Amino acid sequence: MADTYVLFEHASGYALFHVNGFEEISMNLPQVEQNVTDRSKFTGLVRLVAFAPFKDGVRALENANAISEGILHDDLQLFLEANLPKTDKKGSIVLGVADAKIGGTLSEAMLISCQHSGIIPEIIRGIRLHFSKLIKGLTPEASSKAQLGLGHSYSRAKVKFNVNRVDNMIIQSIAILDQLDKDINTFAMRIREWYGYHFPELVKIVPDSYSYSKIVNIIGERKPFDEEKLASIREVVEDEEKVEHIVEAARTSIGAEIPEVDLLNVQTFCTRVTNLAEYRLMLQQYLKSKMQQCAPNLAALIGEQVGARLISHAGSLTNLAKFPASTVQILGAEKALFRALKTRGNTPKYGLIYHSSFIGKAKSKDKGRVSRYLANKCSIATRLDCFSEVPSSIVGEHLKKQVEDRLKFIEDGVAPRKNIDVMKEAVDEAEAARQEYLASQKSEKKKKRKKVKSEPLDVPMEEVKAEPEEETAEPERKKKKKKKRDANAGEMAEGVTA
Amino acid sequence: MGFDRPARGGGFRGGDRGGSRGRGFGDRGGFKAGGGDRGGFGGGDRGGFRGGDRGGRGGGFGGRGRGFGSPGGRGGFGDRGRGGRGGRGAPRGRGGRGGGGMRGGKTVVVEPHRHPGIFVSRGKEDALCTINSTPGDSVYGEKRISVDGENGAKTEYRIWNPFRSKLAAAVMAGIENIWLGPGSKVLYLGAASGTTVSHVSDVVGKEGLVYAVEFSHRSGRDLINAAKKRTNIVPIIEDARHPQKYRMIVDMVDVIFADVAQPDQARIVALNAHHYLKNGGHVVISIKANCIDSTAQPEAVFAEEVKKLQSEKIKPLEQVTLEPYERDHAVVAGQYRPPAKK
Repeated sequence: MADTYVLFEHASGYALFHVNGFEEISMNLPQVEQNVTDRSKFTGLVRLVAFAPFKDGVRALENANAISEGILHDDLQLFLEANLPKTDKKGSIVLGVADAKIGGTLSEAMLISCQHSGIIPEIIRGIRLHFSKLIKGLTPEASSKAQLGLGHSYSRAKVKFNVNRVDNMIIQSIAILDQLDKDINTFAMRIREWYGYHFPELVKIVPDSYSYSKIVNIIGERKPFDEEKLASIREVVEDEEKVEHIVEAARTSIGAEIPEVDLLNVQTFCTRVTNLAEYRLMLQQYLKSKMQQCAPNLAALIGEQVGARLISHAGSLTNLAKFPASTVQILGAEKALFRALKTRGNTPKYGLIYHSSFIGKAKSKDKGRVSRYLANKCSIATRLDCFSEVPSSIVGEHLKKQVEDRLKFIEDGVAPRKNIDVMKEAVDEAEAARQEYLASQKSEKKKKRKKVKSEPLDVPMEEVKAEPEEETAEPERKKKKKKKRDANAGEMAEGVTA
Repeated sequence: MGFDRPARGGGFRGGDRGGSRGRGFGDRGGFKAGGGDRGGFGGGDRGGFRGGDRGGRGGGFGGRGRGFGSPGGRGGFGDRGRGGRGGRGAPRGRGGRGGGGMRGGKTVVVEPHRHPGIFVSRGKEDALCTINSTPGDSVYGEKRISVDGENGAKTEYRIWNPFRSKLAAAVMAGIENIWLGPGSKVLYLGAASGTTVSHVSDVVGKEGLVYAVEFSHRSGRDLINAAKKRTNIVPIIEDARHPQKYRMIVDMVDVIFADVAQPDQARIVALNAHHYLKNGGHVVISIKANCIDSTAQPEAVFAEEVKKLQSEKIKPLEQVTLEPYERDHAVVAGQYRPPAKK
């Protein structure tokens, strides 16, 4: 019968136990419980073979990360090599581990047969229960302290390592954008009210809040209306007729006089609001560029703002990519959805996606249909964005075209192109763009390398080494990628034709 | 004196749907587990369809509204998987009122509660509190009461708001036993920002230990900060669905408290119990019916969950509903692998 050992990972170090009497206890589970909880019985069953404490916190953290991901750390390998008895016969030793993942890694890397089910979890529970007593010189306090330290450093690293960093920027900026829209609107209303005491007719002539606040700044006191003011106003409104209207209205206005102090305050506020409006434009540009980097296909399909809202609502691009299309369709209409589910009424047809221009274009009876179609395409676009390495908006544009064609089909019956053809074309184009991009990257890299060669002293060894490796890895990845894409296209085609 | 005013925490959430009910930001029982719904700001790490769990109530007790610059502005800000515990309190309309006049002074008497480690302050209004293990320090903006002891020593207590903490709500609802007291080792699943965790850490005291597991990075950040000052909290930012991932950090524990509000929460608890709960140890689980099945009757959902627990060797001991503090919530206590009767 195989000799059973159990690996136990603890915050303070690795421990290896030998299990005696394996057969008896495996036969009778309820008795095992007794054997495990009772310390004296348990120590009779399990014997400590070796314990290797971690040298310091850094080591412990490295090992903890490796263990939680199921990766074999060098320390663990050394520990097992040193302490597991060597045999030539395969399968004469069984190593019990807590997790199937690390078991797989171990059996692959070190050719140890591992077990993680059956009696092993029970034994590990026992070891965990009595651990500080099984190891000499380890008090419960020290054990807790090690755990506390490791817990802190482990969690800290986790929080720092943020997978979706770029979409965080998108989420924040779309939120600010929405807030700014609201605020600018309320501020503009306030200006209209305020300046309206002095010049109530202006609102009718210049309804747009941004130019309104600009013009308020220019006009100030409406009475002496000189050439200079006129010229600046002309610049803002760009409409001769309107300028004349303003001049006329200023002359015959029913507004009250306004003291200079009050006017000054109105104008200060106006400057603030115009600045805010300008900042909003800047932010929009920023959001656009971020979306181009992060989710180009989605942005091309439904626009940057709606796309950003979807991402923000899902929490991250990855989350959005994981949602089924039906969820994407009603994202943002949760309240209506749950009300409908509870009352067994009709579920909503669209959520955030409603703000896309496609749905506005559709007739009201087709809106649901278009929304569903659009959501499907969004889902595809998001997945491409999330999982492709080279960002490009080519597929997104094709998808957009498809939605447009679909709209036409619904309205006038013009048959759209077959999905499979469109997708094939899109994939081909995307692949071409990808190659181009990679080629340009490579040439850049080469340039860099030349630089490296010319001044090798300044560059750490690793960097020089790393580059060729990357290159060799590339073709393989490409193939995989292509396969995936083709499969995707196939699926899509199936989905539509079926 | 008393709570300043029923401030709105964070002041900043609400996002695009706020304000529809009561004081409230967003609806509860959202759509995905995320701050997003109610928060405008965040999203969930855990995606999925239900579980926009706890959050949603605005108000909360006073004192939290520190505006959004302050570290207290949690609640719907970031990607807190399970939805921030930030602002609850809205739909009931009661949440906003703090009991006035709880601050120290001569009129306040603090008495021990039936449960060890928990106290009741008798002032104008009674309130739950715990001994503050870091005097002079509030974790999430809660009120503190300082009481002079017999020999001149001062003890500081922190008010424990049942509207913000389900464990406190369970105590208020009259749960027979919460199974944690001074010296306990607790595995706390769904620690969020560490508000309830901080009280649990007060309850278990220096001898005890709280392993606080939270998945969301955003609230995890707050949790780590809360744990820095309290050495009996071990923060673990990891998915509670995979207990083996934190097996190096966690010991055997006496009790598991779970407030994860996930559809598969019974499974999550059972997994963790199999790994870390002592034989005869206890589980205390808060169940939000909406998160598990928003269409079924809450009672049916609770019964279903209890059945799932039973199939995992957890013997249910009692169940209390959290009315009026939470809607359609229940706390279930049970024993894992109860010792056989002789």
